Amino acid sequence: MLKKRLYLISLGILLLLLIPFLVSGFWVRLVTQIFMFAALASALNIIAGFTGYAAFGNMIFFGLGAYTTAILMTKVHLPFIVAFPAAGMMSILLAILLGSLLLRLRGHYFALGSLGAMEAFRQIVDLWTDLTGGTQGITIPSFPGKPFVVNTFFYFAMLAMVVLIVYAVSRLDKNRLGYAFKAIRADEEAAGVMGIDTTRYKIISWSLSALFTGLVGSVYAYWFSYIDPPTVFNVMWVVNMFVIILIGGMGTVFGPLVGAVILETVSELVWSRFINLHLGILGTIIILAVLFMPKGILHLNWKGLVVHFRPGKGEAA
Amino acid sequence: MILQAIVNGILFGSVYGMIGIGFSLVWGVMNIVNLAHGSFIMIGAYLSFTLYTVYHLDPFLSIPLVMAVLFFLAYGIQYFLINRVVRGPSFVTLTFTFGLQILIANVCLLLWTADYKSIKLPYSSEGMEIGGVVIPLVRFGIFGVAVLVTILFYLFMRKTKAGIAINATALNYEGARTVGVDVEKIYAVTFALSAALAGAAGALIAPIMSINPFTGGSLVSKAFVIAILGGLGSTVGALVGGITLGLVETIGTVVFPSAVQDLLGFLVLVLVLVLRPQGLMGKRFY
Repeated sequence: MLKKRLYLISLGILLLLLIPFLVSGFWVRLVTQIFMFAALASALNIIAGFTGYAAFGNMIFFGLGAYTTAILMTKVHLPFIVAFPAAGMMSILLAILLGSLLLRLRGHYFALGSLGAMEAFRQIVDLWTDLTGGTQGITIPSFPGKPFVVNTFFYFAMLAMVVLIVYAVSRLDKNRLGYAFKAIRADEEAAGVMGIDTTRYKIISWSLSALFTGLVGSVYAYWFSYIDPPTVFNVMWVVNMFVIILIGGMGTVFGPLVGAVILETVSELVWSRFINLHLGILGTIIILAVLFMPKGILHLNWKGLVVHFRPGKGEAA
Repeated sequence: MILQAIVNGILFGSVYGMIGIGFSLVWGVMNIVNLAHGSFIMIGAYLSFTLYTVYHLDPFLSIPLVMAVLFFLAYGIQYFLINRVVRGPSFVTLTFTFGLQILIANVCLLLWTADYKSIKLPYSSEGMEIGGVVIPLVRFGIFGVAVLVTILFYLFMRKTKAGIAINATALNYEGARTVGVDVEKIYAVTFALSAALAGAAGALIAPIMSINPFTGGSLVSKAFVIAILGGLGSTVGALVGGITLGLVETIGTVVFPSAVQDLLGFLVLVLVLVLRPQGLMGKRFY
């Protein structure tokens, strides 16, 4: 059993390493995009899935990472290799600052407070034209080389992000830090009584989530070589991440990977064929996912379809 | 200038109040932040628009009809769909209602196209002037209807059996169930009432605002601000929150440059959340 599993995993890794050399540029970019959403959803999973705080404004770190990279590369002319860690550091700093204010709020209040913070931040980026280019956005020097080289580089860069984040999450699933997050999700008062400094751990959790989100934002900026506020602070992306986590399974290690593959593949098929119906179909997918698999597709339970979360029978909020 | 802004703010704030009451009712009773609330307002506005252009029915007269349509639509949505996930974690209902919002936006896009629509009433330019302040007839009518509906809603929540059952469920749903309240039906009635209020608000804004299928998304963020300002669990609070937002918006356009208005709005929201999350007048009873 274990041998068979190892065999399958190594086959999968081999396939992932070979993809850029086997398929056309369009498919490489699509798979890179799937990696990006898997990475973002995994990062969101740390604060939302493990710790139970629905950070609807998590794109604030994506935008901050992207803008930090863009500004350092265009205004200070630093190479990407320096801008990339700087994007992560900035995200951690912002998470600590915002977290100490907002993580005192719970449930919907935190969700919408973080969303409000993201919108306010986006307005600041919009208005600070000298530094950010305002609504015009910023163009970043693109990665040198032929399209094949560029596609392959960013394919492996995003793959590396996914591996890094999933590895970190798999460690969290088993170590003391992760247990503290899960204890907070299960019952914050009880966790506090047990001696967990809940405020501190919530800030650590959000900072980790922010670090990874900011790093992905940094890679995104370099990949697309153009960013503007509506793209990097897009609420729809956060919703996509939540749907990905929902489809894959909340608070699981590999759920976001499964969810990203499913949602992005379906989304791509729908986009190209029914542009007029795209929102409607996405909305229907969201509604069905929430109704029929609130614990993820791996836990899909047909007998449970009828009784899931009925008032008084399901889990408490 | 400022005086005119204050009058406009109060007149329009009454509609915001109606929007906030429905939104905070669903939030307070079921712990659902309904991201599709703005979409219900939009549906109300579109229905009123169609009734006016096709059947020449005055938007003030179509209000009961629009309310009834939204009542039954929302009753079905809650009873058959949301009741299945209502006890889930907060992000589940948030995501669900967001899905509902984009689905409704798409349906409206197919039915009414992406063009901005608005009702041009023949008496839209009439009004009266008191001491240099102009009070347009339409806006005054909107104010009157909004206040009337709010008062009726207040009485409904306090005097009728259904209203008391909603309050009981909000306070303790297990207790309410024990004394014989059908919680699932009460939840459906609550959601339906909220949508009916949203529909009425939609019919009221149709003559003075242009709407397109994506108006719903921006209206819901206003509903959220109103509910936060007013605090959950209070009809009067939501009305105060609505009029406050109306005043802030109209006075804001006079005092601040338009570029920073959105920024100020979000900053105020985050500040109120951090400093006074229970709102200006929040409590646990409607």
